[in-house]
Amino acid sequence: MFGQLIMEGLAIGICYALFGIAVVIIYKTSEVVNFAQGEMAMLSTFVAFQILTIYQWPFWMAFIGTMIFAVLLGIFIEFAFLRPAKDPSLLGLIVITLGAEMLLMGVAGWKWGAEQKEFSLPFSFSNTHELFKGVIINDWTIAVFITAAFLMIFLFLFFRYTKLGVAMRATQQNQHAARIMGIRVERVFSFAWGFSSMIGAIAAMFFAARSTVDPAFMMEPFLRAFAAAVLGGLMSIPGVVIGGAILGLLENMFGYFWPEWKPIVAFLVIIVVLCIRPSGLFAKHYVKKV
Amino acid sequence: MAKKRFLIFPFMVVLFIFVMSAVSYGAAPGFDDKEIRIASWGPMTGPAAPWGTVNRGPAVICAIVNEEGGIHGRKLKHFARDDQYNPAQTKVVVKELVEKQGVFAFVAGTGSACGMAVKDYMAENKIIWVAPAISVKELISPVNPYIFALMPLYEDEASILTKYVVDKMKIKEIGVLYQNDAFGKAALDGIRQRLAKNNMKAVAEIPIEATDKDLSSYILKLKNSGAKAVMMWLTPSAAVIALKTAATVNYKPEWVASETLSDLGLMHRISGGLWEGVITGAFVLPPESQHPLMVKYRNASTKYTPEERQSLFYMAGNMFTEPLVDALKRAGKNLSTEAALKALNSTKNFQGIGPKVTWTSNQHQGTDSIQIWRCGPNGSTILLQDWTSNELATWKKK
Repeated sequence: MFGQLIMEGLAIGICYALFGIAVVIIYKTSEVVNFAQGEMAMLSTFVAFQILTIYQWPFWMAFIGTMIFAVLLGIFIEFAFLRPAKDPSLLGLIVITLGAEMLLMGVAGWKWGAEQKEFSLPFSFSNTHELFKGVIINDWTIAVFITAAFLMIFLFLFFRYTKLGVAMRATQQNQHAARIMGIRVERVFSFAWGFSSMIGAIAAMFFAARSTVDPAFMMEPFLRAFAAAVLGGLMSIPGVVIGGAILGLLENMFGYFWPEWKPIVAFLVIIVVLCIRPSGLFAKHYVKKV
Repeated sequence: MAKKRFLIFPFMVVLFIFVMSAVSYGAAPGFDDKEIRIASWGPMTGPAAPWGTVNRGPAVICAIVNEEGGIHGRKLKHFARDDQYNPAQTKVVVKELVEKQGVFAFVAGTGSACGMAVKDYMAENKIIWVAPAISVKELISPVNPYIFALMPLYEDEASILTKYVVDKMKIKEIGVLYQNDAFGKAALDGIRQRLAKNNMKAVAEIPIEATDKDLSSYILKLKNSGAKAVMMWLTPSAAVIALKTAATVNYKPEWVASETLSDLGLMHRISGGLWEGVITGAFVLPPESQHPLMVKYRNASTKYTPEERQSLFYMAGNMFTEPLVDALKRAGKNLSTEAALKALNSTKNFQGIGPKVTWTSNQHQGTDSIQIWRCGPNGSTILLQDWTSNELATWKKK
């Protein structure tokens, strides 16, 4: 039973981490916490639902179509809502993302209604395999682990060895200096939003397959993913993954032994980490000169 | 100065019209020779919107009544308002309906907190509220002369379902998965009461938050407790997550769920078929029932509200309106709030597409009866037990 608890905790924790990566990518570039992240992912998942269930296209075509939509949505939100802001403060930009969140939720409610919808992936939760005695793993969990591992390696290489990745890091650290060095900061922002939206959509499809799809279905996973990102460090991709895993395990242990406390574990984590180590467990703390 | 005087005159005229119009709306008795105005509120948008469909159902009954000539020559006019499941917004829409539209009575109305936020306002304004689409003890105890409850209390439903599981299914190991709020706790009370009568205790009682997306630790706890039946008082999403999670760990108990999860077509669809076999309580006949009234309502719904899915909750909206229409007919041509109250208080064993309803001046909880269903293939309904009441109901003993 204990082994299964760990397996289930890791599975949901890595799923939080996947979504947390989406949050971190935007934060890494612009220091903006995107409160519309959940709803961007929700809208993309509805598009996947539309393609899969209404148009009945094969999964992989639906997946590619959804990824394209997610990227365009991310770029559009950045271009249409954030870029026009005049002399924006960080708080102002965050408030804009809150507005976008409401707007996207309204759009989804208008187009698909508020009733829950079923969403399934080819990686079924009911296809199970016994790893060890008493420890069962299902296809959904395997897919989550593989996706997270692949993304982590890809992002590590991307941020360390590619020009665009270095440009994104430079933009986060000092926008003006990055501009002087010839980095087209606006393009970097657009790329970050598009890329983040795509990763968010992947995570949301995993969440949807585990529950149902409705306009509010990503609100709670966003909070958990944010907690995972705060725990691991909003600037550190491996940190988010480890943070997500720790959060998932913690929540599952509390859920099993003290169920009444489970819902507040994530928020306790946010408060404790912000008090003790504001930059998270694994991120470097940058001090900016004023 | 002359210019100022010139401006004061139209200002006074506008103010006079505004005040007079407000006074006349406020004094509206809720009906005239041509129409009786009734209204419902509920979440039509936002995450709780699926429950709000119940508040659009009364429009079908109004259309049928109007087609048949109205009630003593008066047509029924129905207003439905969206409160987004927000008690502050409920106050706004109810006030608007009472003071501006001049409604005579409310029917249905969703959301426990929303209902509690406006019940005193309605009583102060002598507005009748029939069949709230909520199950809250505070609505009926102490007796509120203007509120007539119809939906069985969650504790009664839970008690009846537990009795079925223990006596008919012979299952002694019962686990409970309940939403950690008034809804879930009321059901837990009913389960505990019934089990205590049988000198039993639940093997696990697990509270969950409505928004929780990961129930794996709870399901493992239930599995480890040896629960052979799990009783759920949850939102539709949480119930689906519970079933999916149980499937991942090869846990196959008898699932027993509340009437709020008895839209079998919806639940079967959103659970990918896992809902088949689940037992639920029910407070209205199945939407596909061949009962003559249900057939009539379905046909009327197809005619007047073709855009609506004839879901269980939509049809429940029809059921909630039936006793009000019956009372208005019995109140006679000289309609007044007092006459309608008198008719409602003399409702005895009235039955439409729901359970038998009885209201007296001392007892405004109309019923405690539910049916018990099992979800069949493709979300079809298998009737396990017809209307059954709860002999342990605490409100009956008062």
